[in-house]
Amino acid sequence: MDTCIKKIRELSAELLEKGEVQKVIGFAQGTIPMATSPIAIESKQDTEKLVFNSTCGLNLANYASKQKGKVAIIAKGCDSRNIVTHIVENQIQRDQIYIIGVPCTGMVDKSKIATLFEDEITGFTEDGNTLRVTSSSREEILKKQDYLRENCLYCTHKNPILYDVLATELVEEQMLEKPFPDVDRIEALDTDAKWQHFENLTKNCIRCYACRNACPLCYCPTCFVDEAGPQWVGKGQNKTDVNTFHYLRAFHCAGRCTDCGACVEACPMGINVRDFTRKLNKDALELFGWEAGLDITKRPPLDAYSPEDPDDFIK
Amino acid sequence: MKFITIDKKNWTKGIDKSRGTYRLFGPVKDKNWCMIKELDGDILPDMEYNESVMSAKSVLFPQSETILNTSLNESVEDHHIMKRAKNDYTARAVLGIRPYDAKAIQLVKMNFDTKEYKDPYWCDAYEATTFVGMAITKPGPFDFSTSVDSGPFCEEGLDILLADLDDSFIAKILTPKGESFAAACGFDSTIDDKESQALFDILRKEAEKNINCRVETDKLKEKNLLDLHGASFWDDLAFSCINCGTCTYVCPTCWCFDIQDEAKLKESSRFRNWDTCMSPLFTRHATGHNPRGVKVQRVRQRFMHKLKYFLDKYDQGIMCVGCGRCVKSCPVNIDIREVCHTMNTYEKKD
Amino acid sequence: MGNLLEHMGIERDRLHFSWISSAEATKFVDVVKEISEKVRALGPNKKLVKDYN
Repeated sequence: MDTCIKKIRELSAELLEKGEVQKVIGFAQGTIPMATSPIAIESKQDTEKLVFNSTCGLNLANYASKQKGKVAIIAKGCDSRNIVTHIVENQIQRDQIYIIGVPCTGMVDKSKIATLFEDEITGFTEDGNTLRVTSSSREEILKKQDYLRENCLYCTHKNPILYDVLATELVEEQMLEKPFPDVDRIEALDTDAKWQHFENLTKNCIRCYACRNACPLCYCPTCFVDEAGPQWVGKGQNKTDVNTFHYLRAFHCAGRCTDCGACVEACPMGINVRDFTRKLNKDALELFGWEAGLDITKRPPLDAYSPEDPDDFIK
Repeated sequence: MKFITIDKKNWTKGIDKSRGTYRLFGPVKDKNWCMIKELDGDILPDMEYNESVMSAKSVLFPQSETILNTSLNESVEDHHIMKRAKNDYTARAVLGIRPYDAKAIQLVKMNFDTKEYKDPYWCDAYEATTFVGMAITKPGPFDFSTSVDSGPFCEEGLDILLADLDDSFIAKILTPKGESFAAACGFDSTIDDKESQALFDILRKEAEKNINCRVETDKLKEKNLLDLHGASFWDDLAFSCINCGTCTYVCPTCWCFDIQDEAKLKESSRFRNWDTCMSPLFTRHATGHNPRGVKVQRVRQRFMHKLKYFLDKYDQGIMCVGCGRCVKSCPVNIDIREVCHTMNTYEKKD
Repeated sequence: MGNLLEHMGIERDRLHFSWISSAEATKFVDVVKEISEKVRALGPNKKLVKDYN
């Protein structure tokens, strides 16, 4: 990844120096192991702060569309798809954004790595496919591909969809025979087992809304859970209210979600929030042949009408 | 003050014995997570946990708590008159609470239990609770409790402090409440006070040596409040923040709540939920005006409250016990240690 | 939406979509009869119902 970081810094410095963009939005190294933090760089010397590695699991699309003037953004495959979605949904204009595409080899599942240790992780470095993780008691050498996040395992768009320049060479995309094995597993359950699955999934939810706020799709000025007149959903820890939030948020993402995994990445309670959105992604693909964020000229399926739309549910 | 020794073989029996008089709370493992929960049935506390993802504040201050009830049925006497909910304030004990979490409850107490105002729900729960602390012998890498007047063996706010000696616990009984709890468990083998204290001191020094982070807070008091408030670093600091409530919810010292009314048919109740200063709704007025309408104002509020306003108001240190939970849980890695350093070393440029 | 409800464990037969013209009184009656029979067979719904206690 080192040549990639070097390239990102060079490109950013050049863009800032020429005044082509006012800011570069990327990732900075965090203060603790396996952490990175979104950052806006405004001067050439600060480009040294930019990094890119397997812990840049958040999605930067939301940061870019809230800026004034032209910005550059470091975009993985999924970030670029969300930028496309933002352009389609008029959150940002194409000419307001300069995309430094980074073909991605996947992000690591931090909680999966953490479970290997009884104590806290104190060090994390990577070199290609090798991860070196240390705690105060021992060290583990791991293969990155064994510790990828689930959404990265199923990712078929590692390369940026839309970009102005690339920081590294494009990588090979994978073809999946079964792109939604996780959804299939839930679909195979009976009605009550499905219900129980989701009840268990959210039992530790603290309604901090990190999933929503990390999500590039959730840019509504007032989210339905924050609306006070009328109030759509109770605000306490009642499990029906908690789940209503999750289901409705998922439904608002139908046909728009790129499965970037930022929601899961942000959740402090380790909830696989994607279990809610993945079913809708599967339906979007199977019913409408649609994957979000691949084309800036197409409207999402729930936003457009076609006589060919499936209607067998209407009796 | 006295010391007793508890053979781990007798631990479960003692704990179970106390269930007759106490509702027990404690750390429970849940897959990779450890949560502080009520120990229903025969659930035992996991005394070897490293750190619970949420603090123990919920034992006194649940995330959702019914405070008042009323009937809307006009044929009932006292209809539409809110009356205090019948919550359970019988004796409860929280086992294995970390010393920094117990200290945090003392900071929260400054808010809920003052001369002018007493929060009856919190105060009654506090009165009912015995705090059985577990000293930390292996501090985590994000623990900076020794920088903020707490520490792995801090006794503040505890009724009993336990130290783990592999096959036994040594318990330092700190208050009459602690004494009653030990008696309810049948733990009564006293040991020599001087020797035990010496052992505690050795263990404490050992544990404190393993805390590698140090946060300086010494200059915060003398800084001009408005200078800090108007400082230019807030914009950069707030850039990455996604404005979720994680930091405030995992924080053992954050006490803010919101009040909600809900009614079903003829029954109505008023309850309170944790609220977070990170949310725009937290400060939005009924008129629609929002004094903290933009993100940077909210981020600044959180840190100014913890590290400056609280300090200025009470002069009892900062509103942080150094548990490191927010450092670890923040999705974008905003690190209170760095913010504290930035504020502590800030010099206004003219 | 029906798919999502089914996926989360709400019985499929609780949600019906029909297109009925105001002139199709018989179809309306038939559809409502069919729905109520199906829902009655499932019994009262306890999921996503708020428990206030």
